[in-house]
Amino acid sequence: MSSRLRVFFIDNAVAILILLLIAFALPVAKLPASFLIQEILMRLGRDTFLVLALLLPIMAGMGLNFGMVLGAMAGQLGLIFISDWGIVGIPGLLLAMIISLPISVVLGWMCGMIMNRAKGREMVTGFILAFFMNGIYMMIVLYAMGSIIPIINPELLLSRGYGIRNVVGLDGVRQAFDNLIPLHVAGLKIPVFSYLIIAAGAALLIWFRSTKLGQDMRAVGQDRGVSASAGIPVERTRILAIMISTVLAGIGQIIFLQNLGTINTTSSHEQIGMFSIAALLIGGASVTKASIPNVIIGVILFHLLFLVSPMAGKNLIGSGMLGEYFRQFVSYGVIALALVLYEWKRVTRENDARATLRGGGAA
Amino acid sequence: MTARSLIQRSCALLGLLALSAFLFYIGKGHTLLVDTAAVTIDGREYSSAETVSVSIDGREPESMGRAERTMAQVGGPRHRITIEVVSGGGQKVEQRFVIPTFLDTALVSVPAILGGAPRQHWVTKFVAPAAEDAPAEEMQQQEQSTVLAAPPAIKP
Repeated sequence: MSSRLRVFFIDNAVAILILLLIAFALPVAKLPASFLIQEILMRLGRDTFLVLALLLPIMAGMGLNFGMVLGAMAGQLGLIFISDWGIVGIPGLLLAMIISLPISVVLGWMCGMIMNRAKGREMVTGFILAFFMNGIYMMIVLYAMGSIIPIINPELLLSRGYGIRNVVGLDGVRQAFDNLIPLHVAGLKIPVFSYLIIAAGAALLIWFRSTKLGQDMRAVGQDRGVSASAGIPVERTRILAIMISTVLAGIGQIIFLQNLGTINTTSSHEQIGMFSIAALLIGGASVTKASIPNVIIGVILFHLLFLVSPMAGKNLIGSGMLGEYFRQFVSYGVIALALVLYEWKRVTRENDARATLRGGGAA
Repeated sequence: MTARSLIQRSCALLGLLALSAFLFYIGKGHTLLVDTAAVTIDGREYSSAETVSVSIDGREPESMGRAERTMAQVGGPRHRITIEVVSGGGQKVEQRFVIPTFLDTALVSVPAILGGAPRQHWVTKFVAPAAEDAPAEEMQQQEQSTVLAAPPAIKP
């Protein structure tokens, strides 16, 4: 029994730690329940799709896709173009998604190709690749747009005549998805259409798992060698997992930014990967296993902690900035903890297996 | 790649392009300047009532006097305008109009719609008035800078 309890605590260490932090911060923050529920409802609609984008690479054994930032960049480019052309409402968002699609596919393919050359180190490769692509994205947005890529709307351009301004307002598409099906329950606004998109995305992922390609991804995730022996094109399957993840991340970033109503051209995409991965890990996922409940629980817990920590910090030491630092600490800390636990469990499992082979039983 | 998959992929690509064009058409945003100033069309003058209430696409009606202009942001080519004459008569007109896709700012003439002018005169391209060569503020600034730039008189 004690062994099972130990395994449970180790498996859910991140979620338990966050729950303890929330249990401590919630009474200190003294935030009204209605405010917290409203914010969680909005943030659930805003962030969940982005976190869903992480599931397929985990299924294919490629770990947490830090390269999802590439998809977020593609989504932002789509939004910049529709802002320039003045396309508003739902058609504007759908057009942004279509524009982001080929960019995400190309970036995902490139990311997958590189990850195939760095098997076993996909996470750090994706992380560094995101930094590298950020430089190219900056070059496109700050130099090519307005000089090589035509930009019609002069309000989007920097005063020097080329390059996109640091902040682009999405007035025409602001909360277009959230307000499409207006529903108010007990004074709480519920973004029904955003939830429907998320439900469609989740249903698509569940269906995808049962397809031939989905089964191939699971097989590749479990053992690359056996999968290759069984005739599964391992490298192609891995590339497809990353490509689909990148496309979903692009769509997710559009859903995320339509809710915020503004793009921070140079930085909106940067922390998306970190926050989405942290949310997934908080929901109980690991580097090798993640599910849709992990996504939903993770987004709720992560944002609950985000909401209460600044106020708790202010009430405790008189400075709301503590909460801001805490957010960064939690995001990076949770990822570090999850990676350490994963590695520790892997080593423990190997040692146990070795000990069993020697006939000494589990260590 | 087989011929069949090539055809399938080409069809999907063409479908996406067609969908993009359709989304562009139905989602293009326009700025509408609803204007109550009198207009002369084919030698006939159309003037607005003293006070009218104007609503675009069922939005909150806005009360407008004579020779006034109000702005509305809309998306897509087809719109509905409801004009109600508040000052006497109680005439209420509801009409539909189309804005050309590449017309960013359109001028919608309330008197033309109320007076039953030909449809092509309801929505026209807005042409911003030409800026004066040297606006008063600019001239004032120039004068100030001249004064500041003048070196102080140094007596030997």
